[in-house]
Amino acid sequence: MDFAIPEELTALRDSFARFLEREVRPLEAGVAPELARGEAGTPAQREAAAEVRRRACREGFYTAHMPESVGGWGLSALGVALLVEDAARSGLTLAGAAVGPPNPAAPSPLLLGLPPALRDRYLAPLMAGATTMCFALTEPEAGSDAAAIRTTARRDGDSWVLDGRKHYITNGARADLAVVFAVTDPERRARGGITAFVVPRGAYAVPRTQAVIDDSDIAELVFDGTRVPADHVVGEVGQGFRQAMGFLDAGRAAIGAHCLGTAEWCLDQAVAHARSRTAFGRPLAAFQGVSFPLAESKAEIEAMRWLTYHLAWQVDRGGPATPDSSIVKLFDTDRAYQIADRCLQVFGGQGLLAEGPIEARLRHLRVLRVVEGASEVHKLVIARALGLA
Amino acid sequence: MRIICPVKRVPDTAAKKAVEPDLTLDRDGVEAVLNANDEWSIEEALRIKERTPGTEVVVLCVGPEQAQQTIRKALSYGLDGAIQVSDPGISGSDASGIASIVAGALADEEFDLVIMGNQSSDARTMLLPAMLAEYLDLPALTYCTKLDIDGDTVRAEREMPGGHQVVEAKLPAVVSVVEAINEPRYPSFKGIMAAKSKPVVVKDLQDVGLDAEMVGLEHAWTQVLEVTPRPPRQAGDKVEDDGSGTVGAKALADFLVARKFL
Ligand SMILES: Cc1cc2nc3c(=O)[nH]c(=O)nc-3n(C[C@H](O)[C@H](O)[C@H](O)COP(=O)(O)OP(=O)(O)OC[C@H]3O[C@@H](n4cnc5c(N)ncnc54)[C@H](O)[C@@H]3O)c2cc1C
Repeated sequence: MDFAIPEELTALRDSFARFLEREVRPLEAGVAPELARGEAGTPAQREAAAEVRRRACREGFYTAHMPESVGGWGLSALGVALLVEDAARSGLTLAGAAVGPPNPAAPSPLLLGLPPALRDRYLAPLMAGATTMCFALTEPEAGSDAAAIRTTARRDGDSWVLDGRKHYITNGARADLAVVFAVTDPERRARGGITAFVVPRGAYAVPRTQAVIDDSDIAELVFDGTRVPADHVVGEVGQGFRQAMGFLDAGRAAIGAHCLGTAEWCLDQAVAHARSRTAFGRPLAAFQGVSFPLAESKAEIEAMRWLTYHLAWQVDRGGPATPDSSIVKLFDTDRAYQIADRCLQVFGGQGLLAEGPIEARLRHLRVLRVVEGASEVHKLVIARALGLA
Repeated sequence: MRIICPVKRVPDTAAKKAVEPDLTLDRDGVEAVLNANDEWSIEEALRIKERTPGTEVVVLCVGPEQAQQTIRKALSYGLDGAIQVSDPGISGSDASGIASIVAGALADEEFDLVIMGNQSSDARTMLLPAMLAEYLDLPALTYCTKLDIDGDTVRAEREMPGGHQVVEAKLPAVVSVVEAINEPRYPSFKGIMAAKSKPVVVKDLQDVGLDAEMVGLEHAWTQVLEVTPRPPRQAGDKVEDDGSGTVGAKALADFLVARKFL
């Protein structure tokens, strides 16, 4: 058993840390006053994030998770996890735009399932950071039970015709293209009857965006006789459900790493605050009522770390990701939320302020317990692995 | 064109440093990094390489086995190969000792330019570039903020108090650079992976024509007599403004006048 992080990944983290300090921190300073006022998703922030994305594309970090054949680095899942962790741990709101995963707006390996000509058309601009995408699976009548989607695609001559409605789609209103999951064989559904399509923006309607507690950017997409050419199938007809689950599974280490880095950042902030803030004539840190929850948080962070790295390692050696991916998603999102909550408490009133270091993170971490499979769904998967369902 | 970039493995500048009983730095107990100033020399060498097809850049490091890590780091920026001089007899050498070792290592090498950082963050003697040029009997262009190669001539701007000097020399020459010269790139993942398989030639003292009688702590020209930790930083004066700006502005002006800045 060797828990050492490979030397090349340590070197890569070093490069990434410099990139964050040199290129991202100054851009963050430009939007810091807005962030401190609790304003999210402003045009200035969006432009700053797009600038981070372009620069990270230039350096390669943003597309590191993609294979070399399309201009990525083919970075290991462990390498990706470490970059994602470091982005979150930096505390820079814009750092998330420097790495692809776990953001569904980033270029996805799913698109490798397109024919070469379409890869050039759709994937190349994504790889350059010029465009973004979205992943459209969830529907008003099908969330946790994703196999129950009702959007249909029917073959008509040289094209497919899509009808249906998706909601809660991250980056839906802004994406240049959507990967849309639709039923192509109602008899078979999840067993060969769901297909993924790439649908360019403009071919579907975006009737509304939806406001969420954590400022993430979600929207409803409507397909009403939306026509795409037959070659716009991603991968094979009928394999969409398997692809969707594979995509989500592959992203679990990145979500875990994102939670890990966020929790580490919250703890760093809380520790610094506990040491500098005094009450009753002593630093807060001198009270066990303050230091013990932080000590527990440290213990849980280490558990998150090794669960997450282990999952990434498992993925890298081609081993089965289930149920480990569900264990990571369940444990990391849950622990990170609890840790952020404890850290918020250490800040007292400041913890509740929009300008404080924790408030926005807590809201964001709350969302992660619902998306990409709610905690309960992952418990189902783990229970099934125990032979309980 | 062949460029040599001497680099040094130094303790992380952020780390707390400890001193051994013989007053040398404890190098094992702290995280080691590539000397920051060497990143500017590497960047400058890479820029010349990009402008001048056929240029080879080789890193040279005097240091123990662990310095391989530093060499890989330097290679990851995109350099072509490395020379390491490693020998138990080197430990504790002073600037002159190291300069003689570097010069010895270069005796059999073909090169047009040696580009190095002006100082290392641990010792900060700033002696090495000039001493190396002396040992090699080559021109020394130190503290450069700008470099141009034109045929067999190197032209440089040198940082001076209150201005700069423009100097030139025939190649081969030794150049040292300062921070203002460029902004170093980040090693790319491709560079990091490629560095793993770049050739590193390891030499000992005998290979570079020296023996243990000429270098090392015992034969150093300089001797460290005493080491004192930096005193903890004193808390500064705090001025509370009343919101009008006048109290703070007056205090600031008084402060600057008292120290003859104004
Ligand atoms: C901010 C945000 C971003 C999102 N981004 C995307 C995106 O980019 N693409 C996309 O396709 N989707 C996206 N989603 C959708 C997300 O994946 C779903 O919200 C999630 O899968 C839950 O589905 P649901 O909301 O329909 O809840 P439901 O499925 O209705 O579940 C409601 C509750 O019941 C529980 N539950 C359901 N079934 C069981 C069971 N068998 N046993 C025990 N408990 C159960 C659930 O865990 C949950 O607590 C996003 C959602 C949000 C909020």
